[in-house]
Amino acid sequence: MICFDNVSFQYTKDQESLKGISLTIGEGDVVLVCGPSGCGKSTLIRCVNGLIPHFYEGNLTGSVTVNGTDVSQTTLRKISRHVGTVFQNPRSQFFNVDTTSELAFGCENFGLDPDEIEQRIDRVVNRHGLAPLMDRSIFRLSGGEKQKIACASIAVEPLDVIILDEPSANLDYQGICELQKMIGAWKEEHKTILIAEHRISYLFPYISRALLMNSGEIVKEYSADEFRALSEDELHGLGLRADHMQDSAEVIPDNGERRDTDEKLILSDMKFSYRGEEPVFDIPRMEIPAGEIVGIVGANGAGKSTFLRCLCGMERSCKATLKAGDEIRKNKKRRQSIYMVMQDVNHQLFTDSVLEEVMISQEKEDKEEALKILESLDLAEYADKHPLALSGGQKQRVAVASAVASGRDIILFDEPTSGLDYYHMMQVSEILKDLRKTGRTVIIVTHDVELIRNACTCVIPFK
Amino acid sequence: MEYRLDRNVHSLLDPRTKLLLLFTSSVFVVGNAGEKWMYVFYWILVYLPVLLLLAEKEWKAAAVAVAIYVGSFYAQMALQHDPTAWESALALMLYIITKILPTVILARYIVKTTKVSEFLAAMNRMHVTDKLTIPISVIFRFFPTVAEESRAINDAMRMRGIEMGAKKATEAVEYRMVPLIASCSIIGEELSAAAMTRGLDVGKKRSCIWKIRFRFPDLIIIVLCLTCFVWWGIGRFFI
Amino acid sequence: MKNDGRLNAKDLINVGIYTAICAVICCVVAMTGVIPIMMVLLVVFVPILTGIPYMMFLTKVRKFGMILILNVLMGALMWVTGMSYYALIVGTVSGLIAEFIYRAGSYRSKWCGIIAYAVSGIYCWANYFGIFFNAEAYFSTRQNFGQEYIDAVTGMLPVWMCPVLLAVDLICGVIGGWIGTKVLKKHFEKAGIA
Repeated sequence: MICFDNVSFQYTKDQESLKGISLTIGEGDVVLVCGPSGCGKSTLIRCVNGLIPHFYEGNLTGSVTVNGTDVSQTTLRKISRHVGTVFQNPRSQFFNVDTTSELAFGCENFGLDPDEIEQRIDRVVNRHGLAPLMDRSIFRLSGGEKQKIACASIAVEPLDVIILDEPSANLDYQGICELQKMIGAWKEEHKTILIAEHRISYLFPYISRALLMNSGEIVKEYSADEFRALSEDELHGLGLRADHMQDSAEVIPDNGERRDTDEKLILSDMKFSYRGEEPVFDIPRMEIPAGEIVGIVGANGAGKSTFLRCLCGMERSCKATLKAGDEIRKNKKRRQSIYMVMQDVNHQLFTDSVLEEVMISQEKEDKEEALKILESLDLAEYADKHPLALSGGQKQRVAVASAVASGRDIILFDEPTSGLDYYHMMQVSEILKDLRKTGRTVIIVTHDVELIRNACTCVIPFK
Repeated sequence: MEYRLDRNVHSLLDPRTKLLLLFTSSVFVVGNAGEKWMYVFYWILVYLPVLLLLAEKEWKAAAVAVAIYVGSFYAQMALQHDPTAWESALALMLYIITKILPTVILARYIVKTTKVSEFLAAMNRMHVTDKLTIPISVIFRFFPTVAEESRAINDAMRMRGIEMGAKKATEAVEYRMVPLIASCSIIGEELSAAAMTRGLDVGKKRSCIWKIRFRFPDLIIIVLCLTCFVWWGIGRFFI
Repeated sequence: MKNDGRLNAKDLINVGIYTAICAVICCVVAMTGVIPIMMVLLVVFVPILTGIPYMMFLTKVRKFGMILILNVLMGALMWVTGMSYYALIVGTVSGLIAEFIYRAGSYRSKWCGIIAYAVSGIYCWANYFGIFFNAEAYFSTRQNFGQEYIDAVTGMLPVWMCPVLLAVDLICGVIGGWIGTKVLKKHFEKAGIA
């Protein structure tokens, strides 16, 4: 049982906070905590797994008890015997390098008998069909596979409370189905489950209630039935994603945008393989409509991101040509004329101010012009801020601003909406449309069904 | 088919043996202790890492290692007669490669074949404090991450066309270092949070699913290492 | 989080991460060290370049022991990758001294941090001990380079150079640390991650 008694929390650095939360979650309940980004849902669940106050610094008042123990009065280690957490970022939650040891890690830390750990691992691996993932290096797994291992390693431990912090953020349709099964299995075992999430439809079958948060407060509580009855528009109004479980490959854009030209970019002879391995893909010829928002869809691991890297000339070993009108672009030319907004935007921001970031992309530095671009992307007020100090969506817009400043005519996006709530997803979608209006070709790799529907003007399935 | 965890999976050597071998190799191959007196052992220690690679079925890596070693060894021998300044500089480069390469291959072998969990348990049995073993295991875990991150940053710089455009050398360093450190620092924070919610703590007893014990190959290597030190001692103090 | 002075997993993981970053940078710089002149310049480039991650590291240090552990590990890595075991010995001692210096500034003072960095970084200088204290033995195994080369290197490194290199190392350490604090201020503090 989890009890919040008038809990308030304020981080020393961050904006997000909690204000006077009182809440009781019974044993075996599956509770969804939802709300737009920055509403405090992550903070709320951190109070349960003990990261607040034992890891993140800040000012905590009120008390949180889990199974009768006051979280702030005990140690993180003791809490972790009862409470397990699956985090959002699959890249940073593994301590081990091989998957099998990672499954055992939690139990090992508690000094459980190795024979018992062995039985537990066998049970979990067989139940969830994870045998093909065993004994592999985590650096060789896809995002979805990593998230599966993260869930499984929690399942191996003898816990009563399981916490998930936006677990679906980096998953495709297939990955979400697997996650759904895992949660179902936990519910059967009568675990108490707490999920912070804004993609919610996959949780519908399991939740016993849902809490809607906004600016650090619980603004509304729904029973499972009330929540399931909400219409798509109502969900959107709450900042939630309403994508009904659907494979992105089957989505048809329905935003009424019409093509008005027939121009094409013709990509030919694109082949790529990692050294000494089977080719990832081999594309003799592909037609990409010019001046459109093109969605490239397909399952995780089909090589979509690698395709983008090859397209913008980042992979030296991949020789391909792109014909735009009469112009033929080889690798180097493509590198100079195509801009890619990476999934992890942090990697492509270098300077100490947003304005500077735009100006280094310009052929000739022109402050007026740069400010105009920032204005058009709602970034003018952040011109002097450090790019890394901005929110994820703002960083993405800075990258777009530098793309615009560089004057390139093709802009690629790699999963631009992973982990975004409805409001921010729509914002991205508007930006894509604005880019199209300036005559640029926009190509996105995504498995976000709602983004495809809202923004794309055509879809190319990728196999 | 039913999955059964095989807890007997292990590499050829025990983690403790690997460390002893690394220690021996840095004393006698890199440090050159005993010099001519240790001639035979020197060559055993130089080629032993290659045998370990073969035991891991890393045929290609083994072949490349031998080729580089033999190549630079004979090249520096050939350059040693009446060298010009440049030739002697080149000879020194090659010489340093021949000194360091075997140990580097050994270190890479250890990192690749030792599980973090195994390493923690083995060190714990030798009563090495967590204050050293936890950071060391994080270093192993983090080298690939640093490499991954810096590759991504480098790619981004190339894509944005600012790798050459950086006006000054300082900018070239700044643009690489700042995102790298920022990104590693964030990953590190999340990694710590995840590890601590799974009960990792300092000075608490852990168990280990992997069966760690000395086996026959360990015996051979341990005897070899001890013989090295004894033989060196004889040469040093009695002859 | 409570600060009871005892190192916890978070602190140790931070030590590991920053050791890894510093080691990668050292490694990249040391690659150039096979060119003879660069070998002497290691005491210039290593302290200047590792200053940035190190200053970031110091912002995470609030307890006794973290600097010492980082130094011991750096020393051990240097030894294993073929510098000399002097680096480990000197690094341990200098790490301990740096601990006291940084603690004297209550783990906050900017200048104590810079000086602690400069002092702790002298393991880099210790790599030359082999040449200074044991030049004959050092070169007896390197005879094949020809007397000319040996003369060139020993000419560049007479014994009186030993304290000079130490001074250079310390000065570059201070410069590196100072640059580190500048970058910290310009980027990480402004971005709110330090």
